Order: sequence, then C-alpha cells, then structure tokens
Amino acid sequence: MAKSLDRYFQFLGSAKEAQPSGRLWYPAADVYETADGWLVKVELAGVSADDIEIDVQGNRLSIAGCRKDRTCAAGMSYQQMEITYSHFEKNLEFPASIERAKLEYNFDNGLLMIHLIKEQ
Amino acid sequence: MAENTENTENQDIHVQDTRPLKPLPLERAILPLQNTTLFPETVVPLAVGRERSIKATEYALSTEEKLIACVTVKTKDVNGNKAKPSDLYEVGTLVNVKRMMRAEGILQLVVQGTDRFRIVEWTQEEPFLKARVEILPELAVENEEEVEALKRNLQNLIQQALTMLPQVPAEVRMAVMGQNDPIQMSYFLGSVLDLGEETEQKMLEAVTVDELLSLAHAALAKEVEIMEIRSKIASEAQSEMDKSQRDYILRQQMKAIQKELGEDDGERAEADQLRERLEQADLPEHVFKEAERELRRMEQLPQSAPDFHVIRTYLEYVLELPWKKSSEEKLDLKEARKILDEDHYGLDDVKERILEFLAVIKLRPDSKSPIMLLVGPPGVGKTSIGRSVARALGRKFERFSLGGMRDEAELRGHRRTYIGAMPGRIIQGLRRVGVNNPVLMLDEVDKLGNSFRGDPASALLEILDPQQNDTFRDHYLDLPFDLSKVFFIATANDLSPIPAPLRDRMEIISLAGYSDIEKLNIAKQYLVPRQIKENGLEENQLKIIDDAINLITSRYTREAGVRQLERTIGNIARKVALKVATGDVEKVTVTEEEISDYLGGPKFYPESAREGMPTGVATGMAWTQMGGQILFIEATLLPGASGLTLTGQLGDVMKESAMAARSYLWSHADAFGIKQEDIKKNGIHLHVPAGSIPKDGPSAGITMATAMASLFTGRKVRSDVAMTGEITLSGLVFPIGGLKEKVLAAHRAGIKHIIFPKQNESALEDIPEEVHNDLTFTMAERISDVLEIALEEEVTDPIKTYDIPEVDAGSSNDNPNEPLIAKED
Repeated sequence: MAKSLDRYFQFLGSAKEAQPSGRLWYPAADVYETADGWLVKVELAGVSADDIEIDVQGNRLSIAGCRKDRTCAAGMSYQQMEITYSHFEKNLEFPASIERAKLEYNFDNGLLMIHLIKEQ
Repeated sequence: MAENTENTENQDIHVQDTRPLKPLPLERAILPLQNTTLFPETVVPLAVGRERSIKATEYALSTEEKLIACVTVKTKDVNGNKAKPSDLYEVGTLVNVKRMMRAEGILQLVVQGTDRFRIVEWTQEEPFLKARVEILPELAVENEEEVEALKRNLQNLIQQALTMLPQVPAEVRMAVMGQNDPIQMSYFLGSVLDLGEETEQKMLEAVTVDELLSLAHAALAKEVEIMEIRSKIASEAQSEMDKSQRDYILRQQMKAIQKELGEDDGERAEADQLRERLEQADLPEHVFKEAERELRRMEQLPQSAPDFHVIRTYLEYVLELPWKKSSEEKLDLKEARKILDEDHYGLDDVKERILEFLAVIKLRPDSKSPIMLLVGPPGVGKTSIGRSVARALGRKFERFSLGGMRDEAELRGHRRTYIGAMPGRIIQGLRRVGVNNPVLMLDEVDKLGNSFRGDPASALLEILDPQQNDTFRDHYLDLPFDLSKVFFIATANDLSPIPAPLRDRMEIISLAGYSDIEKLNIAKQYLVPRQIKENGLEENQLKIIDDAINLITSRYTREAGVRQLERTIGNIARKVALKVATGDVEKVTVTEEEISDYLGGPKFYPESAREGMPTGVATGMAWTQMGGQILFIEATLLPGASGLTLTGQLGDVMKESAMAARSYLWSHADAFGIKQEDIKKNGIHLHVPAGSIPKDGPSAGITMATAMASLFTGRKVRSDVAMTGEITLSGLVFPIGGLKEKVLAAHRAGIKHIIFPKQNESALEDIPEEVHNDLTFTMAERISDVLEIALEEEVTDPIKTYDIPEVDAGSSNDNPNEPLIAKED
C-alpha cells in the first residue's frame, strides 16, 4: 500500500502532463478569426513539413504527424532530453463546416501557420 | 503536405485507425523491468541504472522516435543484468521516452506508454536485448452493457478511494474523476496500485475491455477495503490519543482559571517557597544535595500527583530537622548540683554521674554523650530525673515510652515508598525539640515487645551505640543523622527482659527503693508542699508531723517509690481543703492519731519481726519489684514420715535450695548436735507464706537451713535476726542480689541483726547511714557462721521420740526424679 501511495504521488506530483494522458502528444494551438476565415497557429518546432498531415472533415481540422529527432547522429549520446519526440495529433473544431475552405500553410519560426479561407 | 510513407504491415495492424500510419521499424531495444509493469497511455518516471539497460535506452534515444520496448521480468530473483529472453514475459508496452536526465550514472526517464506489443523473435542479447515486436491491436468490446456497468462501478470505487485520500490535490481529483475512457481508467489504476507483477501482467495481456475492466475492478475493490481497515485503525489510535490530549488541555485550562482566581499556581509557589527555605537553611552538604534533588523532582510534578505531597512533606521534614543546631550547654557544676538537689532527694549515684559528665564536657566539648539506663521500682523518680537532668544541663528534654512498642518502624520509620510513611520516634522527637543535643528519655525499655514486624530492641542497638549512632539512618529520611550529641536516658523496672547486647550498651544505674527516712524527707520537702499547692491551700494551712508521715509510709502504703505516698498525702490535703473551704477551720496540723480520721484504718500490716517464734521458724529477706520484704520460713517435723514436703508456690531453684540445705544438715548432723536418727525418722514440711505469691531464687538457702536446724536442735531462731544467702552442699554461703532493698525492708520490719554473705560486703556502702547505725551486720562465709548467730543457746523444744515402726528413710526420698512429697505409710 505504501508503495502504491508513493507511486501515486510521485506520479501525480510530476505536474499536469502526468495524468493518464492517452498515447499522444497534443501540441498547443491558437485559433484566430480573420475577416476572410480562420488562422490556426500550432507549436510544432523541429517538425519536418514532410512528417505532417492535415485533414479536414466537416467542421473539424486534424493535424497529425511525428516529430523525429534527426540531430542525434552516430558518435553522439544524450546527456539530457526534454523535447518530446513522438507522434502528435491535434483536432480543432470550428463553428461551421470548413470542408470547402481553402487551405494555405507555411512554417514561421517553428510555428505551423494554417490559413483557412472561407468559401465566398 | 507530405504523404504518408508507412509500410503495409503496420497498416494491417491498425486496421480501424483512421489516422495515417506511423513508420514503425519492427526491431526494438528491449528494456527489462523489475517489479513493475508499464501500461499504455500512462506517464511514468523510470530510473535506469543497469549497464545493459542504459545501453538499450541510449540506443532507443539515438533513434528518431525515441521508442523502447519495456517487458517485465517474470521471476524476481533474476538479476536484471543477466535476464535472458526466457526470463521475460512475452507481452510488454512500447513507450516513448519523453524526458531524460543523467544523474550519477543513472538515467532518469519520464516515459509514456503508447502501444502493447508481443515479442515475435529475439534478435540480439548483447550488449543489450533486441527483438522483433508485433504491435497488438486495440482492445475489443465483447459486451457493451457489461463494460458500461463495470465502468460505473469502477468510477464509484474511485470516488470512494478518493474520499479516503484527502491529501490528493483538487486538480488531480478532477482529472481522475473526469476520466471517462474505461481502458485508460484501468491502465491508470494498474500503474498506480501495487497489485503485484502477476496481476499487472494479466491486465496488460487482457484482450477485451471486459476482461481488463473486471481485473481492474477486483484490484481496486481490494485496495479500497484495505484502505478502509487502515483508516479505521488509524482513527482508533487517534481517539486514544485524543483522550490524553483532552486531559492535558483541561488541566491547562484549570491552571489558567486558578491563576485568574488568584489561587496563583499553587505548585510553583510552594516549590519556590521550599527552594527559598532550602537555600536559607544551613544544611550539611550531603543533605542539601539530596533535598535539592527531591525538590527538582517536585518542581516537575503537577500538584495533583500523589508524589508531589509526599515529596513536600519529606522536604519539610528535612528542613525542620536540627542538622547543625545545638542548644548551648550550661556548664556551671555548682548550679547543676543545686538543680538536681532541688528536684530530687537522694539518688546520689545518678547525680554524681551527671556531674561527672558535665565535668568531662567542660574539659572536652566534643565528647560523646553517655547513654544511661536507670533501673528501679516504680515511683522512685526515674522519669522525673530525666527532666531534671535536662534542666541541670540546660538542654531540651523529650521523652517517649517504648512500652508495648512492637514495630521496628516506630523507631526507625517507614520507607517513603509506603503510603502514609512517617519517620521514627527518634527523628520525630528531634524535630519537635529542634536541637540535636537534647536529653532524650526512652521510658520502659524493658517493656519493648517484638513481633513479625521486626524487633525494636534490635533497632535500639544501633541508636544507642555511641560508635555507630553518628550515622543513624532513618528509613524515611534515608539520610544519616548524627545522634551522638543526644543524651540518652533509658528507664526500666527490671533488667532481666532487656536483651544482653542492649544492656551492654548502657551505663546501668540502679535506683533502689527509698528507706522510710528518705521517704519522710521526700514527703516533707517535696510531696507535702506540692500537694498543698495543688489543692489550693496556703503553705501554713496544712502541717503533717513526721510521725504521721511515718505511719502513712508503713501502714497506708507499700511501695519502693513514693507515688502512693504522694497520693495518700494528696488525699489528706483534699480533705483539709474541704474543711478550709467550708470555713470550719483555718489551718490543720495532722498528727499520728488523726491519720485514721482521714484515711480510715491501716491498709497494710507489714511483716514485722514476730515475737515469740516457735522452733523451726526463721526470718528471711526477699526482693520484689516493689522493693525488699521480710518473709518467714516455717518448718515442722512430720514424725514417722520421710522426705521433704515443700509448699508456698516455690520455684525449682528454691526447692533445690531447700533440698541442699536438708542434705547438708543430715550429712553434718554431728557438727550441729543433731542426731542423724532424728532426721531419718522424721519427715519435714517446709512452708513459705504468703502461700499465694510465687517465690523463687536461691537466696533463702541459709534461712531454710536455719529453720531446719532449729527444728532438729530444738533451739529457737532469734526473732530479731534476718538472713539472706545461698547455701551450697558443702555448707558455703554464696552472694545474693538486692541486699540494699532487703536491708531497708528488714529495718522497716524492726529487725536488729542482719546476716548476709561475706561476698556482698561492698553493698553495705549503699545502705543509708541512719539505717546502718540501727543495725548489726554479720557477714557469713559458712552456714556454721549463720547458725552460731541465729540460734538461741537454750534448747527449748527437744525432739520427742515416738514409737514408730522403722521406715527405710533414705530409699526413696532423695531420688531427684521423685516428686518432693512426703511418703506417708
């Protein structure tokens, strides 16, 4: 019992992310409403554009992918690792269907910017 | 936007996954885990320390995905370094390393479980384990209703558990409660609870949600039960503690209330007061230390503790005892003699001894006080002389009676562990007088008892030994007290009951009874004036002339001392007071003739010298506790009988003495002009009045011989002669005791001539001069000396010869085993 309690607290003590969290990394995202649609900003530093997939279904925008560590080459080893390298998935709900919106995206200083332009 | 590039195998596994499939190489580094199982979808910290595990982890970290396969070791006793593939379970959890820190050769990881896998094939054992793994599919739901029911039950249980864990922070509580996915819920419980590796592995290998949920439910139910029992035990312990806590708080409140009422802090005040007294008192160092120690103990106790009062009483005792305080000695010898003479007439021995002691003290102030034992009949002033001694020495006086004392603890106290313990009489007495050199009188030391509680006489041995009593230790005090400055005076009526070792420790001074002349003087000087005063008369209102006092002493009192005499005088004084008070007369002179008017007829007819004694009667002298007395020994012939008949309550010693006297006369009959034939033919009856008083002792030996000799020679015994002395079978006269009292009694009885053993010569000095002058003394060495003086010359009553058949007289009467009764034929 003591061990289990210890584990409980150790576990719970290691901050918010230490909850039963599901299997994925959910990167932070901001959503702005603009005159012509939406602007979505996702924190995806170090993620290669090749490893990202964006999908739209109804009023939901899904961003999924994987951050891979391409720095660690042969002859190197970690002293410390704090950056999460794993799959991620981010689902964003919008008030209306965006299926027919036009998507534009680009990377700006490690932030993925997605511009959804409403259909006129 | 890039298109997905995962291989086809993975697509097969994640059939229902709508997301694009991830690139997942099949070969993974394996991390064996000891005593713990990781589950998908939970974040857990891990410490990796073993070399092979570190290598596996470093390998995993060097890959792009940071994935490592964790498998639990089956058997616990296997060292992780050496774990072979066969030691591991086949199903494990693939985890993503989220964070890593190196610390002192250990890798601290935070990992997050992603998927379950099964090991398909081992590919490498060194330098770390590697295997091909197959990702297991998501759990399937078999029975939706059952899953829902189990899920709700589990949520209830979680709620229950959380109420018992109040320390869990609110946000965690919310997160746990908000968890709605049954798989996540179960896996979370699996990693939080300590279920044992087998159960945890079972949960991990569960194929359906139903199975997983029921396993988690059972595990949590058990855990909740344990928690309930624990909290019950804890609350019981708590209530136990609460009670004593409550007592303490109430006590503190009471103290506060007392303080408010001005009954300020009794115990402190008391302790402070004692401390002050302790510091002011002039105590010997060892006493101070002990007292200080006790005081410190007391200061730590609450006033309600029983020990508090025990210690307080003890400390008060210690503080009040005269450890160093002595009264000043009056060392004026002349003054002392004057005081002693004022208080008591006679008793020269005692006075002499006290003056000697004073003289020694004067020359050597640190000398030890003597221990005296005054022995004498009642009423001779033993007790009152103690007071007088104290007055003469200028010391304080304290007395207590040892009569009937049976408990050693009365002298030496009880140990403080007993309830109601008190110090012994000695220490109590010293506390009362307040000085350490009083005259302490131990009355009636011959009447000490003893019982199962100990023998007080033995305790006295220590107290009365001047060599030991400077460290007398009372059980109660438990500190050595110096008794060597105390002047002990013990009194006794009789020496014989006093144990020899105790007798040996004391200087014995015997006070014989007073002679009539002494009594007359005592009456004139002390008793009459005192009684006049006590009965409210003026000094000139009552006069008792000397002859009247003499009559009182001889006919109205019988004692060695003067108590009865004083009472009798008091009687007269009262009657005179009545007359004076009623106004009949103004003053009275009591004469000899008037005594019977006041006191009635004479109460005693003391044995006085008989006139015209027949043959066979001799005057002896006896010693009793009341003083001396004369007694008559009567012998008569029993013609034709044989042997010796003895009556008058005689003890064995006296009987044997009588037999020795007869045997001597028989064997030396010719020397005294006695015919052996007469002795042979006649029995003797010897009687000693008064018949009801038991008598014993050898000192009537010569008297009995004289009586028998008188009988056989036919010569009377001189009636003015009294005698005492032990007789031996060879006719010697041996010394006896109590001569002074005997002589005084004989003198009172009107005897003129005393015969006593030569070896008692020295006792003559004790006899008051006025008595000595009235008497003639003969010191006898042999019985012939006695008979020469005691028997009259003239043969007045020769033995008649009877015609009686001959009896064999010697055959039976001298057998010592036969009863000493005349054999009549």
